[in-house]
Amino acid sequence: MAPRFRYLLGELGVGLRRNLLMTVATVVTVTVSLSLLGAGLLTQRQVDIARQLFFQEVEVSIFLSDDISQQQRQSLERALADHPNVEHVQYESKEQAYAHFQEIFSDNESLLEGVSPKILPASFRVSLEDPQQFAEVAGAFRGRPGVDEVADQGQYLDRFFAILNGLRNGAVAIAVLQLAAASALIFNTIRVTAFARREQTGIMKLVGATNWYIRLPFMLEGIVAGVLGALLAGGLLLLASVTILSGVGQQIQFIPIVGTAEVLGVIPVLLVVGAVIAAVSSFLSLRRFLAV
Amino acid sequence: MIKLDHVTKSYKAGATALADISLEVDKGEFVFLVGASGSGKSTFIRLLIKDEEPDTGDIVIAGKRLVGMKNWKVPALRRELGCVFQDFKLLDNKTVAENVSFALEVIGKPRNTINKTVPEVLKVVGLAHKHAAYPHELSGGEQQRVSIARAFVNHPRILLCDEPTGNLDPTTSVGIMKLLDRINKTGTTVLMATHDQHIVDSMRRRVVELEDGRMVRDQRRGVYGYGA
Ligand SMILES: Nc1ncnc2c1ncn2[C@@H]1O[C@H](COP(=O)(O)OP(=O)(O)OP(=O)(O)O)[C@@H](O)[C@H]1O
Ligand SMILES: [Mg+2]
Repeated sequence: MAPRFRYLLGELGVGLRRNLLMTVATVVTVTVSLSLLGAGLLTQRQVDIARQLFFQEVEVSIFLSDDISQQQRQSLERALADHPNVEHVQYESKEQAYAHFQEIFSDNESLLEGVSPKILPASFRVSLEDPQQFAEVAGAFRGRPGVDEVADQGQYLDRFFAILNGLRNGAVAIAVLQLAAASALIFNTIRVTAFARREQTGIMKLVGATNWYIRLPFMLEGIVAGVLGALLAGGLLLLASVTILSGVGQQIQFIPIVGTAEVLGVIPVLLVVGAVIAAVSSFLSLRRFLAV
Repeated sequence: MIKLDHVTKSYKAGATALADISLEVDKGEFVFLVGASGSGKSTFIRLLIKDEEPDTGDIVIAGKRLVGMKNWKVPALRRELGCVFQDFKLLDNKTVAENVSFALEVIGKPRNTINKTVPEVLKVVGLAHKHAAYPHELSGGEQQRVSIARAFVNHPRILLCDEPTGNLDPTTSVGIMKLLDRINKTGTTVLMATHDQHIVDSMRRRVVELEDGRMVRDQRRGVYGYGA
């Protein structure tokens, strides 16, 4: 084991030094691509956090028309209570709505003056088992007798999430392109290295070294570049988290913003992606050299 | 030890390099493979080390059937064969001893075995005193001895030599032939491709002659040309 290990380290050093410039270019490309990938993954985390938080609180509000009969109201309430996705129903009368309104706009005298309990509608406030299904619940009650309007907060959230999802998709798409470039660079670097050492490789084949034995130092060289890039990308993301993200977190109080903990969670993913892409690119790059 | 059965090989370019070769070599034999340039000698050796595949026919060497052999089994085959070439194929950045150790290291031999065997084999080839020299500090004959040491250090059953004296002067060649003869006497089967009439005539071993890829002669105790 010992001579073999020494051999591996020796080969690795020779390889990395031989084409320093190409190694640097490769590492930089891997860093850029994995930073973007990390950013995409963090955006996804942010979407998940926000989604969970918002949907916990999402309610469907069913506003009742002023001329609703007692019977219509009771049958509505029963239908809501029986709906499989409804967790909880609460009736809010015109008076309660007014009290609520007063509370919310207590510092806006002029607005309060123009409003009386009469013009605010009574409503059912419906919380859902699965808040993601709000559209289905809202649709089921829209247009029923006695129902004036069904409002769900989900409509607005959807737009918000569409923006975040767009950002994430953009980051991931650029990351994929960059990763393709990175893997091409690794492919090339390894091929150049293998070509430079073709004499040695030829002798190794001649005396019966196994393909894996020949391959390993080359692949290790690729993997070192991949892992180095992943570590640098992780460093960049951490830097972004303690500077930009923590600032954003202080500005936006109403939802938690992803931070160092999430970045630390993403780094292992970047390491694995970096190492695997490097290993696969190096492996493919060596195929021609190792054809028996 | 080596058996070819109706072996044919042509390269993509079209010309037939070997045509319908059938030959058997027993354990411990010494065989010269002679023929004009382009007659197919190197191709013959490349087929035996599975560097090339025959188009048709069957090859068995060191008890292993080469046709249809899986790629991952080739290293095990090559560990049973030693190869020596006209151009030595030494690594310039390694010393004599390192060049020989390298062959054992890369097949995973333990360090203490390597430390024991390499000086021994360098003594056999008469280069113990030059173990720390680099290839460019050696004469052609010495370089070829290193290459033979490397081929022999793992005690292969068969030694395949493609014009090992091709780059050497006659006197040096005689030394190399004496070495190959000694290796042969240890029971190693030796197959040597050569143009060197003087060597073939003086050794009086089995001679197989190729002409345009066909086997035109197989003679016990032969000489380079026809007759005798
Ligand atoms: N890789 C190759 N691709 C195409 N043709 C080849 C290849 N190698 C050899 N040949 C052809 O096959 C034939 C036999 O070549 P080979 O090298 O076996 O001859 P040889 O007897 O070793 O010659 P020499 O004595 O010059 O070394 C020649 O016609 C040669 O041109
Ligand atoms: Mg030849």
